[in-house]
Amino acid sequence: MTKREVHFTLNGRSVTYEVEPRTTLLRALRHHGVTSVKRGCEEGECGTCTVLLDGVPVKSCTVLALEVEGRSVLTAEGLVGKDGKLHPVQQAFVEEGGIQCGFCTPGMVLTTYALLKKNPDPSEDEIRLALAGNLCRCTGYAGIFRSVKRAAELLKDQA
Amino acid sequence: MIAFELERPRSLQEAISILEKFGSRAMPKAGGTDLLMWMKDRLVTPEVVVDLSLIPDLAGVNLSKDGLRIGAMATCTEVLESAAVEDHFPALRDACLSHSDWLIRNRATVVGNVCSAVPSGDVMPALYCYDATIRIVGPRGERSIPINKFILGPRKKDMIAGEIVTHVFLPLPEGKSSGCYLKLGRRNALDLAQVGVACVAIDGKNGREYRLAYGAVAPTPVRALEAEKALQGIKAPDDAILEKVSALAKEAVKPISDVRAGVEYRLAMVGELTKRAIDTCVERLKEE
Repeated sequence: MTKREVHFTLNGRSVTYEVEPRTTLLRALRHHGVTSVKRGCEEGECGTCTVLLDGVPVKSCTVLALEVEGRSVLTAEGLVGKDGKLHPVQQAFVEEGGIQCGFCTPGMVLTTYALLKKNPDPSEDEIRLALAGNLCRCTGYAGIFRSVKRAAELLKDQA
Repeated sequence: MIAFELERPRSLQEAISILEKFGSRAMPKAGGTDLLMWMKDRLVTPEVVVDLSLIPDLAGVNLSKDGLRIGAMATCTEVLESAAVEDHFPALRDACLSHSDWLIRNRATVVGNVCSAVPSGDVMPALYCYDATIRIVGPRGERSIPINKFILGPRKKDMIAGEIVTHVFLPLPEGKSSGCYLKLGRRNALDLAQVGVACVAIDGKNGREYRLAYGAVAPTPVRALEAEKALQGIKAPDDAILEKVSALAKEAVKPISDVRAGVEYRLAMVGELTKRAIDTCVERLKEE
């Protein structure tokens, strides 16, 4: 099929990609070097390809690249400050050992970021519910839940 | 994934004419969380995918004095966070919350779950309990059909090429009501139901009325009408009545054995979850 252009905002910058209709947002991003977005199951199960689409967390393997025309996409790269400083959510994952092999981490970080925007002080149950679609096959969930709580504290201190 | 062309119409009229032109070679797409995966596995191989997400008429969840309109593009998250759904259609809220996980619910739509027509579709038993109707437009105009007539079998529905489901409509329960959806799965998130039970209790003109519907235990969702009758008018069902009702519910379903559960287990759970769902509705009506 003929390639078509898609114009969108990626981590605050305007970009144009040439993609086939069948190209998923996941594949388009990785093809253009945005490798924090991981290709795991590619069937909507694992959550390693999570991105924020207009601020809403979604699995980018379930989105066609052409569908993000005119919209805004945020990946883990976009959380890092201009000076290279980690975002408080990322910092919290480092401090609390929320990372083992690291493959699920960008997705976990983005879902956590979206959760805390919506609910700055989540309960343990709310954290589990929000992260239910992001799988960690190292099963490092205890550290991940600690990281979410730490991130909530760091964001509160910052406010 | 197999190659296809993507159309993104901005009006219903445009969408209908594209779908009519390509006939069985085209498929409409709402959230795409089922369709794209089915295409990847080559269960379906449309040459043209018609993305409905840019059509303004298909958006939103709106309550009027008659009932609730859920647009074809309304996501499970939008529906479960709607105050109208929480107030008037709690079984649907429970059902949306039991569907997949937060990230998928942000894409997957309630109408899409109906149109996928898989026996385990989580939102369907609740829609059966609320007597939902499916509103369709197509080359021959508009039509409206009860959900139990729309769903014909696994992945089969009463629709012809060129037609689009614009929304589902749920009439407001006539009287104070409560509801719940109980889903049995091997885990809480991202799993298909082994058994799904929706129950709604309404204090209407003719006293207490119950509705019971089941998913994943027959080729289509089913209402247990005999079980509902046995409960008619009873505000505090005792153990004997609950036993009788759960036996009637088991007669209404026709489960199969598959990778997720066996027939005996499914039947036993239909019985148990029926009692629990009724209890939950009775308690929720007392609280208010």
